[in-house]
Amino acid sequence: MKLLTTLLTVAALAAPVFAKDIELLNVSYDPTREFYSEYNKAFSAHWKAKTGDNVTIKQSHGGSGKQARSIIDGLSADVATLALAGDIDALHTNGKLIPADWLGRLPKQSAPYTSTIVFLVRAGNPFKVKDWDDLAKPGISVITPNPKTSGGAQWNYLAAWEFARRKLGSDDAAKEFVRKIYKNVPVLDSGARGSTTTFVQRGVGDVFISWENEAFLALKEFGADKFEIVVPSLSILAQPSVTVVDKVVKKKGTEEIAKAYLEYLYSDEAQDLAGKHFYRPTSDAAAAKYAASFPKIELFTIDDAFGGWTKAKKEHFADGGTFDQIYAK
Amino acid sequence: MKSFTTILRSGIAASAIVATASSVQAQSGSDDVQQLREQIRLLDQKLRVLERKQEIKDETAAAAPKPVAVAASDGRVEITSGDGATSLRLRGLVQADYRWFDSANEPADTFLLRRARLVFEGKFNNIFSYVVQPEFAGTIQILDANVNVAVSPAFNVRIGKFKTPVGLEQLQSDPVAFFNERSVATNLTPNRDVGIQLQGDVLNKTLNYTVALLNGVPDGGNNVTGSADFDSDKTVAARLFATPFVNQKDSLFTGLGVGLAVSLGDYATASGRTGGYRTDGQQTFFSYDASVVANGQGVTWSPQGYYYRGPLGILAEYVASSIELQRGALPVREVENFGYNLSVGYVLTGEDSTYRGVTPKTVFNPSAGTWGAFEVVARVSGLDVDDSVFSGGAAGRFAAPNVSASKLTAYGLGLNWYLSRSVRAGFNLYQNKFDLAPDAVPAANALIADDETAFITRLQISF
Repeated sequence: MKLLTTLLTVAALAAPVFAKDIELLNVSYDPTREFYSEYNKAFSAHWKAKTGDNVTIKQSHGGSGKQARSIIDGLSADVATLALAGDIDALHTNGKLIPADWLGRLPKQSAPYTSTIVFLVRAGNPFKVKDWDDLAKPGISVITPNPKTSGGAQWNYLAAWEFARRKLGSDDAAKEFVRKIYKNVPVLDSGARGSTTTFVQRGVGDVFISWENEAFLALKEFGADKFEIVVPSLSILAQPSVTVVDKVVKKKGTEEIAKAYLEYLYSDEAQDLAGKHFYRPTSDAAAAKYAASFPKIELFTIDDAFGGWTKAKKEHFADGGTFDQIYAK
Repeated sequence: MKSFTTILRSGIAASAIVATASSVQAQSGSDDVQQLREQIRLLDQKLRVLERKQEIKDETAAAAPKPVAVAASDGRVEITSGDGATSLRLRGLVQADYRWFDSANEPADTFLLRRARLVFEGKFNNIFSYVVQPEFAGTIQILDANVNVAVSPAFNVRIGKFKTPVGLEQLQSDPVAFFNERSVATNLTPNRDVGIQLQGDVLNKTLNYTVALLNGVPDGGNNVTGSADFDSDKTVAARLFATPFVNQKDSLFTGLGVGLAVSLGDYATASGRTGGYRTDGQQTFFSYDASVVANGQGVTWSPQGYYYRGPLGILAEYVASSIELQRGALPVREVENFGYNLSVGYVLTGEDSTYRGVTPKTVFNPSAGTWGAFEVVARVSGLDVDDSVFSGGAAGRFAAPNVSASKLTAYGLGLNWYLSRSVRAGFNLYQNKFDLAPDAVPAANALIADDETAFITRLQISF
């Protein structure tokens, strides 16, 4: 017994000496900076307590499509936490970095938190913006990022399209409606955070089609007396998706921790952090806790309205798609 | 762009205020004021959009990966990755001579391709670098082939074939030395060898240290083929070189450098210690008997220094070499040889003289009235061979007194014309005086029977 106690004591004392230093790279989209900054600290503490190892997580942010392209081009991301499943699909279809069935590897179709699209307007809502129709009117200046590079912009685009299709009754009418909106867009940033800068800090535009969490963040950072959130009658259920980048983690030997990093996004602690940073949590407990924070909106899904991301991307955002047809440089 | 739009915005606002005031006075109508306000808002938005677009353009340009850069200057070609971490540089050296001799052995006056080299240099990941330098003139060989790992400025590891860190002039690059040929003192310093070397700059770059473990080469010798060692004994070479005032740009001694180098090794060779010691004209004035071999310890040490200030350059070194030699089965004897070199250069056209050469302020271009740079150089050097090598009689001596001199004193005068940064013409006159061993009676046509006078001209391109 004495020998066992001695061995355990020695083992305990030696543990810090043999603790590993691990580094992960999380390649994410624009508005997740603040959330992942806090989540990374939480996960590092969790992993240290569980294994004794020190983990440092580096973050990279940008337009979601652009980030996916960077990973395909060689950026060594252990995990990708992008704005939409379509961009993560590209890691399989264009890079063979992940398997085709990645979506089913984590709960909730690999979307640990959700969001939607709302409007941010200047205090007093001087242009009386109420719904998508107001964005297509002449004379109003609309800020939204470039759907070619930004996942958020694709959600914006499809939300407007579906609103018009339901209201006007056809895809042709929806196309014309979205064309009118983009005619009112003076600046196309490459990502959502860039558009926030354009609207909030540079004072360009009358209405900003924004991620819900980004709109709340603007109110928090710059004051509710400067901006207002306008909730449209219909919007899209945005499901930012996450995946381990298999080819990278196998090469780096970080497969286990990368998987754990994403799984921990579904923990109570992480779900609470998501709510705190204005993402809609997917766990019942956190969803209930933050329910009052989020406005009630009728939400449709990409699968229901557009037949999934593969189809939507091909029709709308691929070269020669509807966006290329309506948006003249 | 920003300042322009700011001025424009101020102008618009001022105009609008004036217009507003006038309008209010003239019409007192609130509609007009409202219209003007709207016009100002629209113009302000247009300017903000322009500013933001420029900002995005700048951000995109800054974030974009820089393309591969290809640069060519003074004949040198360099390809560099966008991030600067990886590069490949192609350099070259061609030296074409014409040589006149006035010596007892009457060597032929001749054109000579002295050096013809291509240098491939590269680096990758900002840490690893390499050099591959083949020589195509004379004996075709790989002069340098090494990989350098720059862990930090204070700690570099080099593996492969490179110059042994002993002789100051030997370590200087061929095309930038004061004279076409290095001094006779470099006969005693080891040249290129194969091994591993640690080096670095410490104490705020005022002290450079080098330590190398090498196979070991004879005095002035090269490991020509980069071949394996003759035995398992290795040579250690170490050098400390201080430039204590290098960071004091206005000091009188900024260009002062002093150092001490040592090499120490055990040698066992199948042939003589050296192929011979040569004059400034590259004729052999001393050689050991073919049956003499190195068999024991060899030590070379060299105090050395230079001083460069403005157009003036001075380089000096002293070399002492001792080696244990054996002829046949006779006892091993230690031989001690000494050499020295004092060289001075002065750039007549005012450019700075440096250990790395002279960069002319102008290039040779008669139509533009520019002629490049001119430098005069002078040198006195010598090599004193241990007199004991001639003792022991015909069967026991290490060198024959009738073909090998005991001492050489060499004088050199020269003019260097820097036609451009890459092209140099050199005109060197050498006078080599021989001291003979006691009782030496050289043949009338032996080199050492009379002084050697050589005039060596060279046109070189080095890029």
